[in-house]
Amino acid sequence: MFPIMSAWTFAYTQVQPNIQVNYASIGSGAGIAQITAGTLNCGASDAPLSAAQYSALPAGSTLLTIPESSSAVVPAYNIPGIASTTHLNFTGNVLAEIFLGNITLWNDPAIVALNPHVSLPAQAITVVHRSDGSGTMYTFTNYLSDSNAVWKTKVGYATSVNWPTGIGCKGNEGVAGCIANNQYSIGPLEIAYQITNPGAINYGAVQNKAGNYILANLTNIAEAVNAGVKAGLPASNAHWTGFSIVNNIFNDSADAHIYPITTFTYLLVYQNLSASYAGTTQPQAIGTVNFISWVVNHGQSAGVKIGYPPLPASVVAIDNTALASVTYNGTPILSGS
Amino acid sequence: MALEAKARPRARLSGGDLFLRLLVAAAAVGVAALLVALGVELAYNSQLSLATYGFGFLTGTVWDPVHLVFGALPFIFGTLVTSALALLIGIPISLGVAIFLSEKAKERRALASSLGSLVELLAAVPSVIYGLWGLFVLAPFMKTYVETPLHAYLGFLPLFSTTPIGTDFLTAGVILAIMIIPTATAVSRDILNAVPNSQREAMYSLGATDWEVTRKAVLPYARSGIFGATILGLGRAVGETMAVTMVIGNAPVISASLLSEGYTLTSLIVNQFNETTSPLYASAMVEIGLVLFGLALIINLFARALIWRMTRGTKFRV
Repeated sequence: MFPIMSAWTFAYTQVQPNIQVNYASIGSGAGIAQITAGTLNCGASDAPLSAAQYSALPAGSTLLTIPESSSAVVPAYNIPGIASTTHLNFTGNVLAEIFLGNITLWNDPAIVALNPHVSLPAQAITVVHRSDGSGTMYTFTNYLSDSNAVWKTKVGYATSVNWPTGIGCKGNEGVAGCIANNQYSIGPLEIAYQITNPGAINYGAVQNKAGNYILANLTNIAEAVNAGVKAGLPASNAHWTGFSIVNNIFNDSADAHIYPITTFTYLLVYQNLSASYAGTTQPQAIGTVNFISWVVNHGQSAGVKIGYPPLPASVVAIDNTALASVTYNGTPILSGS
Repeated sequence: MALEAKARPRARLSGGDLFLRLLVAAAAVGVAALLVALGVELAYNSQLSLATYGFGFLTGTVWDPVHLVFGALPFIFGTLVTSALALLIGIPISLGVAIFLSEKAKERRALASSLGSLVELLAAVPSVIYGLWGLFVLAPFMKTYVETPLHAYLGFLPLFSTTPIGTDFLTAGVILAIMIIPTATAVSRDILNAVPNSQREAMYSLGATDWEVTRKAVLPYARSGIFGATILGLGRAVGETMAVTMVIGNAPVISASLLSEGYTLTSLIVNQFNETTSPLYASAMVEIGLVLFGLALIINLFARALIWRMTRGTKFRV
């Protein structure tokens, strides 16, 4: 989520020049660890906290999970000889088999069956994935777990998993680089990184429950978010462990054009702020809440250019309610609104 | 006069001298204490993992954060293999450069000093730059021009039996070799320069050629010093993080093939330490740090023992 956070921190300085927001792109796990330790005013993560992470939070604290943007993970590949206007079709099951190492050639019958009009080469597939823990991988492995029973028991889903095969590259940029440098490779990539690096990397369409092959774009990601929200969100101050849009929409056959590998990205902030959280001062608390409020209400257009669709109105309303409940030393910060 | 020289009384230290002596002693003790504290801290924070996995941690081959099964063997293997490769490739090269700089360039001082400076500049390049260069330049180059032919012609050997991908043990070994060359060269050159000229002159007087002088008079004299330079290089290779992470492929694989992707202890820490999602996972990561610490200590102690054996009975000490 680095591209959109850096767009927001930059845009916010135009709106509020005397407030400085620092964004450190250190990974979801580190973000969660640091908000637990109280060294950050606000944490950001692509994956909700696990049960163990919730139990590590300071006693008596309530952490708010605020979805502030959504993103998608696409199967990016590098196959010379296939035109950039041709997008391969994949299903969750075929992707799982590729990443399990069971499908090893590009012209495997399973892939050919999904792509009858494409001439696939008889080359070995090089699997690429993240080497570091990542919310993007959480979402992707979540989708693979839902799609394939063997993946679910053998590997499961988390920010870091024991990948059965393939090479690991550091960061989304690393994965994009590894795919670009290795012909006949495939890897899961956050869509923003493909949009900004169209070069040698192309990405494929994924089949949703309704049976349509969906090529991720702003519209179908936004529709997926809407469908996921319709199925129900946890309360802002509740535990979000195990929640994902992927799970909510996996069996949704009513919505014909939703992109199945979609995720929220979350901002994490304590509901009852005070100086006990590593010396948070009132101006810092006010600034944090104001920044999040701006991001949710006014900053959504900044992400559109780089592949992050705006939040649906229902989520904006939920977020605003959550933000109104944030207090500093007992006093609501957004008082009067 | 001779008697006076022998019986030198110990002066009583006072004031500034005493203060200086204490300050210096404190620094020395402090550094030693830091080493001990580091080890103790690592052991303390990995208690949970030590209790859960015991000795099986060192022999386990699976690293699964979801099912909480952790074994360090693939990473120990990766660290040892890449470091050994680095030494195999890097030490002969740095020895060659050191011999050239100290022996052959005596008549051309300017050439020697500028070449020496260039080699030392290699050490000034930050390791993450080596990593980026390795990922975008060296790995594709190795894959196309070195590994694919090796696999095509020598693929029957287990050493080259897996499909080349560029980010593997071999490329990591090459990058580490490049990184240890400056240090090893600088130390070796100084060692060779310290060989007394009398050794060389004696050999020349027996009618030896330049190369024979180097091989039979200079190198044996400098043997333990060069070995010390090798250990310095090994220490850097074992601890190198970013450059290796970018080019090793980050897959916990134990394979006889140099063309296989792999994983090292340092790469694992830099990739996953920030993303530990449970206390047991975090403890296992700290235990990996403890294993790395222990490995570095063992290598150093082993090297010291070897040097002691080599120089036993001779006057030369490292």
